[in-house]
Formats: sequence, C-alpha cells, structure tokens
Amino acid sequence: MAALLDLLINNPAIILTIGAAVTLVAPRHLASPILLVFTAASAVKLYSLGLGEYGAITLFGEQLTTVRLDMTSRLFAVVFHIAAALNIIYGWGTRDRGQNFATLAYPAAALGGVMAGDLITLFIWWEIAAITSVLLVWAPGTRATYISGMRYLSIQILSGVLLLAGIVLLYRETNSFVFAEIGLRDADGAIKLSALFMFIAFGIKAAFPLLHNWVQDAYPKSTINGTIILSIFTTKLAVYSLVRGFPGQTELVYIGAVMTIFPIFFALIENDLRKVLTYSINNQVGFMVCAIGLGAINGAVGYAFGNIIFEGLLFMALGAAMYRTGTSKATELGGLYKTMPMTMVLCIIGALSISAFPGTLGFVVKGMIIEGAAGFNLWIWLTLLFASAGVLEHAGIKIPYFTFFAHDSGKRPKDAPLGMLVAMVLGAAMCLGFGVYPDPLYALLPDQEAVAKYHAYSAYHIVEQLQLLLWAVLAFAVLVLCKWYPAEVPSTNLDTDWLYRVPGRSFITWASGASRATWISLWGIFTGRLQAVMARIYSVHGPEGQMSRSWPIGFMALWTAILLAFVLVLSLRA
Amino acid sequence: MNMIAQLPVLPVIVPLVLAPITLLLPKGRAPHLYATFVSWATFAACIFLLREVAEAGVLSYHLGDWAPPLGIEYRVDLANALVLVLVSGIAAVVFPFAYRSVQLEIDKHQSPFFYGALLICMTGLLGVTITGDAFNVFVFLEISSLSTYALIAMGARRDRRALTASFNYLVMGTIGATFFVIGIGLLYQATGTLNMADLHDRLAGQNSRVIDAGFAFILVGIGLKLAMFPMHLWLPNAYTYAPSAVSAFLAATATKVAVYVLIRFLFTVFGFDFAFLGAAFTWVLLPLGLAGMFVASLVAVFQEDVKRMLAYSSVGQIGYMLLGLSFATVEGVSASLVHVVNHALMKGALFMAVACVVLRAGSHSIHAFAGLSKRMPYTTWAFLISGLSLIGVPLTVGFVSKWYLLTAAFAAGHWYAGFLIVASSLIALLYIGRVAEVMLLREPATEGKYVIAKQDAPLSMLIPMWILVAANIYFGVNTDLTGDLARRAAEALMLTAGAG
Repeated sequence: MAALLDLLINNPAIILTIGAAVTLVAPRHLASPILLVFTAASAVKLYSLGLGEYGAITLFGEQLTTVRLDMTSRLFAVVFHIAAALNIIYGWGTRDRGQNFATLAYPAAALGGVMAGDLITLFIWWEIAAITSVLLVWAPGTRATYISGMRYLSIQILSGVLLLAGIVLLYRETNSFVFAEIGLRDADGAIKLSALFMFIAFGIKAAFPLLHNWVQDAYPKSTINGTIILSIFTTKLAVYSLVRGFPGQTELVYIGAVMTIFPIFFALIENDLRKVLTYSINNQVGFMVCAIGLGAINGAVGYAFGNIIFEGLLFMALGAAMYRTGTSKATELGGLYKTMPMTMVLCIIGALSISAFPGTLGFVVKGMIIEGAAGFNLWIWLTLLFASAGVLEHAGIKIPYFTFFAHDSGKRPKDAPLGMLVAMVLGAAMCLGFGVYPDPLYALLPDQEAVAKYHAYSAYHIVEQLQLLLWAVLAFAVLVLCKWYPAEVPSTNLDTDWLYRVPGRSFITWASGASRATWISLWGIFTGRLQAVMARIYSVHGPEGQMSRSWPIGFMALWTAILLAFVLVLSLRA
Repeated sequence: MNMIAQLPVLPVIVPLVLAPITLLLPKGRAPHLYATFVSWATFAACIFLLREVAEAGVLSYHLGDWAPPLGIEYRVDLANALVLVLVSGIAAVVFPFAYRSVQLEIDKHQSPFFYGALLICMTGLLGVTITGDAFNVFVFLEISSLSTYALIAMGARRDRRALTASFNYLVMGTIGATFFVIGIGLLYQATGTLNMADLHDRLAGQNSRVIDAGFAFILVGIGLKLAMFPMHLWLPNAYTYAPSAVSAFLAATATKVAVYVLIRFLFTVFGFDFAFLGAAFTWVLLPLGLAGMFVASLVAVFQEDVKRMLAYSSVGQIGYMLLGLSFATVEGVSASLVHVVNHALMKGALFMAVACVVLRAGSHSIHAFAGLSKRMPYTTWAFLISGLSLIGVPLTVGFVSKWYLLTAAFAAGHWYAGFLIVASSLIALLYIGRVAEVMLLREPATEGKYVIAKQDAPLSMLIPMWILVAANIYFGVNTDLTGDLARRAAEALMLTAGAG
C-alpha cells in the first residue's frame, strides 16, 4: 500500500488533480490561490524528480511506468505547467466550481499523458483529458454548448476507443505496453492495423484535416478562459504522442503540409475572431506534424513549446477584448486601441511572435522546422513558406488589426483587468525573452546534437524570414487599401463538418427511426408470444383477471426457471 | 466456563435470545437503545472471533456437544469471520443511525417490532455465515428472510407499494429458498450427510446426475437470493420501498451474505473435484456477472429515484463479485471477498445519506437532491465521497476493489474482462455524476414539495454515516487489513477446494 501511495505522490499529474479536487470543496474565493499553489507544488515535484522513470507498477504481469521523464516529455511537462499557471492567473477569481476544477484537472490529464511511459497509463489519461475538458465546453451552460459538448465528447471518446483497440492489437504483436516508436508500417512496408488505429486516434486529437471540425465546433463556444485552456492541451498531447510513436513517418509531412494550408482560407473569411484563432490552432499544429514527419523533432517540440505561449497570448488578448466588449466578432470590434493600449501592445507582441518576426520566440522555433523542410522537398518547403505568410495574414495581422484598429466600433472599454494583464505580460515577456535569449529553451530540447548545429540568428534565416514577412505585410496593405481584402461580414461559414451535421444527421435520424420501428415490431411479436406462454402458466394457478397484477412475479419466476433449466442442461452436457 | 471456547456461538446466540425481549419493552426510545446495545455486544463478539481465528486458525464449535457430522457444527475460518465482522459492524452502525429515521417513517407502536425484527434479521445473516451445516444454512436463511419481508412491508406507511414489493420478495425469496433446500435434499440423498466438510469428503470422486441436479438447484437458489442477474427483479422494489434504515442495512449485508454462501458451497462443499464446477464458472457466473455489470448499471443511469438507482447499482456491483469468483483463482476469490466488504461500506454509507435526505426532504426522488450542498452539506459530502468510492476513485475502497479485480482478471488471462470492468466503472461515473451534478450545481427548489430548510441531518445520523465514510477512506488507504485477510481467506478456501 505504501507503494501505491508513493505512486500517487511522486506524480505531478496527480498533485494537480488533487489541487483541482480541492477547489470543489474549498470556499470559492480561495479557488485561484489554491490552484496556483498546487501548480507550484507540482512544478517543484517535477524539478525534484529530474530525468528518469518513476511510479513503476506491475499490472497483469507487465511492468508499467506511470511517470517517464526524458528530454521530450520533460519539455512538454514544463510548458504545460507554465500554461496552467498563466491560465490560472488570467482567470483569477473565477468562481464557477466546474470551471475551476477543469482548469487544473484537464492540464493534469494532459500532463499525465505526456509523462506516461506505457500505453495503458496513456490511455487512462487520454480519456480523463476528454472528460475533464468537456466541462470547459459546457461551462457557459447553454443548450448550444451542451449539444456541441456532446459532439465534442463523442469524438474524443471515439479517439480513446481507437487508441485502446490499437493498444490491444499492438500488445498481441509485441507483448509489451511500453510507449515507444510504433511506426505505421511493418518490415514489408504493409500498414499495421494496430498502428493505424493509434495513428487515427492521435490524428483525431491532433485535428488532422477532415478530422479537425471538433476544434472549431467546440472551442469557440466555451467561456473566455475556457477557450484558452482548451486551445492548449489536447492538440499538444496529440503532438507529443505523434513525436513518441511516429517520428520521421513520411505520411505526416504531407498531412502536416495540408494542415498548414487549408485553415488559412477559412480563417481569412471568418468573422468571429475566436474562430479565426481556432483555425490558427490547426495551422500551427500542422507545422508541428510536418516537423515530426520530417524527423525534425526539435522543431516539433520546440514549436509546441513556443506555440503554447504565443498562441495563448493571442487568445488571452482577444479574450480581454471580449471580456470588456462582450463580443469577438470582427464586425463589432475595432478601434479599441484608444482605451485598451496595454492589451493592444501585448496582442501585437503575440502576433509578431506567431508570425516569427526575428527577436521573438516564434522566429527561433520556426527556423528549426523550415530548415528541416528545405532538406526534404522543394514543394513542401514552399508550402510551409506560403503557410507562414498565411499565418501572418490571419493571425499576425487580422487579429490585432480588426480588434484594435480597422473601423472604429465606437466602443470605449477599460483596459484588461489586472489578472488578465499580469498573465499577458508574463506571456509576452516569454515571447520576447526566449526570442532574444533562447538558450534555456535550447537546453530543454531533446536532440542536443542538432541544437549545437542550429543557429537561429544566421544572416540567411533573418533575411529569408524578413523578406517573407515584409512582402506579406505589403500584400495585406495593398489588399486593404484597394478594398480587396475579404470584408468583415457577419456570416456563418460552413466547413466540412456540414457534411456530418446536416446530411449526416438526416441519415442518422432516418436510420434511428427505421431501427426503432423494426425494434418495436420485433418486440411486439416477442411480448405477444411471451404473454401467451405466461397465460398458459397462470391458467393453472389463478384467475385470469389477476394475470396482469402478478405479471412481475411470474416474470421473475420465469427467469429463475429458465436459468435452472439452463444450468441443468449444462450439467447434463458436462 | 471458558469464554473463548464458547466464543463461536455468541454472535448467534446473543441476539437470538435477546431479540424477543425487545417486544416487551415500552414503545419509543427503549427498544432502540436496547437493540443498539445488543448489536454492539454482537459486534464485539465478532471482533474477538476474528482476532481469535486470525491467530489460532479454524475454530470448530459443536452445538450442544453433539459431534459432527451428526450434530450441528459452527465452523469459523477467515472467510466467514470476515463476513461476520462485516454484518455485525454494519448493524452496529445502522442501529444507532436508525432512530430518527424510524421515528419519521414507522408508527411508534410498531417500534418494538421493528427493532426486534431487525435484530432477528441480523441473527439470521450471522447464523447463515457461521454455520458449517448445510441445512442449518437454510434455517437461518429463512429466519433472516422472514424478518426481512416484515421489515420491507413496514415501509408501507410512507408508500403503499412497499406491500407489493415485500410480497414479490416473499414469493421470490421462497422460490429461492425452496430451490436451495431441494438442492440440499438431493445432496443428502447422494451422501447421507449435511455437514459441509463431510459433504465435501463424501462428494469427492462421486459423479452422478443427482449431485449435478443438486448443484444446479443450489446455484440457482442462492443466485436468486444474491440477486444474480437476471433474477434480480425483486431487489430494486424491495430496496426502494423499504424503510430507509432497512435499505441501508440490507444493501450492505443481505446480498453479501448470499455471495459468501455461494463461495462456501462452490469451493468448500463442491470443490474442483466436482467436474461441473468449471462449466458453471465459464457458462453461468462469468457471463451473468458481466451482463449484470452492464445491464443493471445502465438501468441505474436512467432512474429518477435515487434509492432505486442505488438498488440497481447494487445488482451491477454483485456482477463484479460474481466475476471475481468465476476466475476460480486465489486472486479472483480474494478480489470478490474484498469487494463484498468494500461494497458494503460504500452502499451502506450511500443508503444512509439517502435516509438523511428522506428525513429532511421527505422524498428520495432526484428532485429532492437539487442544490443539496447548500442545504445539507455534510450529507452531500458523505454521499459524494461514498459515490466516488463506488466509481473506484483512488484513495477509496472502491479503487482497491477494482484494483484487485483488474489484477485478478489479467492474471487469469481474461483480458476483455479487465477492460469491461473499466468500462462499467464509467457507467457508475454517469449515474453518480448525475446526482452529483444535481446536488452541487443546481439551485435548491424555492417552491413546490421539494423545498428543504437549511438544516443538516441530526448528529445521531451524521456520526454513524461518517464513520462508514471514514471507513471508505481508511480501508482505501490502508488495504493491509482487508486485502491481507481476504487473501488468506481465499487461499484457505482454494486449498479446501483442492486447487493446484
């Protein structure tokens, strides 16, 4: 039992989970301090553990490793702690118990997932992440969010089921639960079914193209703080799983390339700026997926680290504007720079960073990916460059421009509240700090050999990136001046999820109607027969009028008789 | 007189002799205090007995000095000592708890009968557990069942449906008992003995249709008593309409004792020499256990009545115990025994919490639970913690149970069963989560019949309930006691069954 206790205490993810649980009981006004204290405690535990494997347990004869800290998982663990802390500060004083619980329980699950040394542990945290995160989707408590949350949950659970199927199949092949490189193909080049299941499970959470709709469906519907938290963990857990399971898998290069491109177009015409940012998540994860396929592991995990910070900063800045004005629609925002200057500056820092301007975190981490792509294939390299320009358009310019400048909405809100400002300042400080002095980040990267060879601020990198950015800025300016830029119009844009939401739903409605009718008719036949049988049994024992009243007992007795008959027949055969 | 030598008979003889005196006491407080005292004395005797057995090994007591196999033998080993402590322990908590609840739910002039019947019920359950004589099991089973029928019917003051529930249970219980006694009769015909140990010796090597049929009758008879799916239909109504305190006591003890009897007959009386045993595990207990885990749990999800939900959940939880048994390994049987104890702790606490709500809100509908955390925080948290335990959250006994079960499932090579255990725990999360959501997040009713004043249950109810909740956590952290005892008990059982 002491071993079990040790297992629970020596796991940062459990510490966070306990913290989340405490907020359910503690007075509401203490929730935020409690969350922060437990995050700090967990961070201290993470630091004191150091690299290595902990929490080994033997389950069904297999050694499981509940906590595995190597260079890769530690980097994710560190950035998850940073993100969790920033989110808590940003949402300081939140009183909704469900939301406070999820604020830490959900990151805890993602953390547990990245630290899992075996597939069983991964699966458990994978499902907990799904369940805890849906609380955030539901947080606003409206019918629309409830339905959206159910859609979200079913897709996340589907991912978990696929993962489980993959794990079971893989175990039959390898007799091991260790979470190591899986590889999509076997020695003959044929696709392994087990790996395919897991690949799709990871792909759902990473929002691969056509599996991505749940992101836009669920994330923008949450609360301000909820959307920020959601945007961080699920997709990054998937990125980590892909890094661990499928590094250098060539298919990922093409999937990632598509992921970087297609959200750009949706993002450009989207009016709801929060939705624009959710498309940006797809695009950003695309860069990471591409890097995993290229085998540029440093690029993938480094970019995940950076993205969590600068994308989070953008979400926070937009959230602050939304908190003050009550809307995130481009048509209803604009001109806020006059009264929200701090938020505006911080938002622009995030925008510069996501666009990879030199001197920011984005520049440092993006270089690692583009460099890898150049050595792979000209087309992929060009695609990524084009996508980078697209990032600048939709995330780097569109978000700050339409929120703080563009046409004056006439709104004159106060600047962001203190908690939000503190979180954003910390985020912005990291964007700039790591941009100028990236060595601490480098020290965390898994492939130290590659780090030694990598120079972010080479003349070539800077010139290449500046050319790209300046031309893209020029393009934006020209488009806006000539009024060719897609105007902000209040509209709902249909994504491919329309396919399963409209024709798909009518099909399901039809199918469920048909199956219900079949079931009812079959049931009618069955109960008709059964009633006849019961009537015969009861004609001996009592007046027929009482049959309906004694039906339940008769029914029970019948079951007993059936079972006895079954056991007797079985004993005859044995 | 040497007390230690007489110890094995005390848990039965003390309440059996003292119970009728309850009827002579003045109505009101006196029967309650008296019955509480008797239950504590019995509990103390059981604790001594467990300590004695844990140190000295199996105790055999010859009733009236008639030597077995002719005389009745009380035979106490670890397995039944554990169940004895469980039953008397739950009784020792439920009796003090019952007073306020009974005051509300039962006519004052019935109170001596109520406490007397409850004592007799406890006696019957203890007798079933302690005896080493197959026919004696039937006698005590009837003693406990008859008093149970009366106790459930006493719920009629609040809800007339208690009468039909009790009647249904009467019919079904009688069928079960009849099957059981037919089975015993067949075994007696084949062997000429009723003593369990003696039966085991004489059955060895025998292989006849009579014994097979006897086995089938006994399995189905006990299966009915322990509410094995699909013979569980009597249970939900019985538990729902019984007086709250009775539900708490029965849910924690009655089916558990039946599970114990099943274990005793399968392993001690029949044993692995009996050719048909393996088929019964594979084709009856395993599939029905799994089916119960899912069907009953799913039904529980859709219940509007919290007591009924808990009752269906009990049927599902019995599925876990049957599953553990069906592995027919030391791990499986010990997991089953551990769950017998642990499930009693959690279900006892849960039903007690419902009793507290009934006391204040006058209903066990889920609507009465709306915003309960603001009205009755201590009751709410008792329900939540035991609910988490039911789901199997770490640091609670539920987790320990699931852990042992999972380990047993995988050790026995039943992969899919392991995953099904996890899946059905998720269903438990659903039905407990539903109540949790109503209690924590809804606003309390401001009009209509579910309005509750901001006043928690009285201390006489809170203290016993929280003792059980604390036990849920204590035995969840410190598993040495239950885990170790259950394992030793299972090893002894398997040894007599002739494993290996």
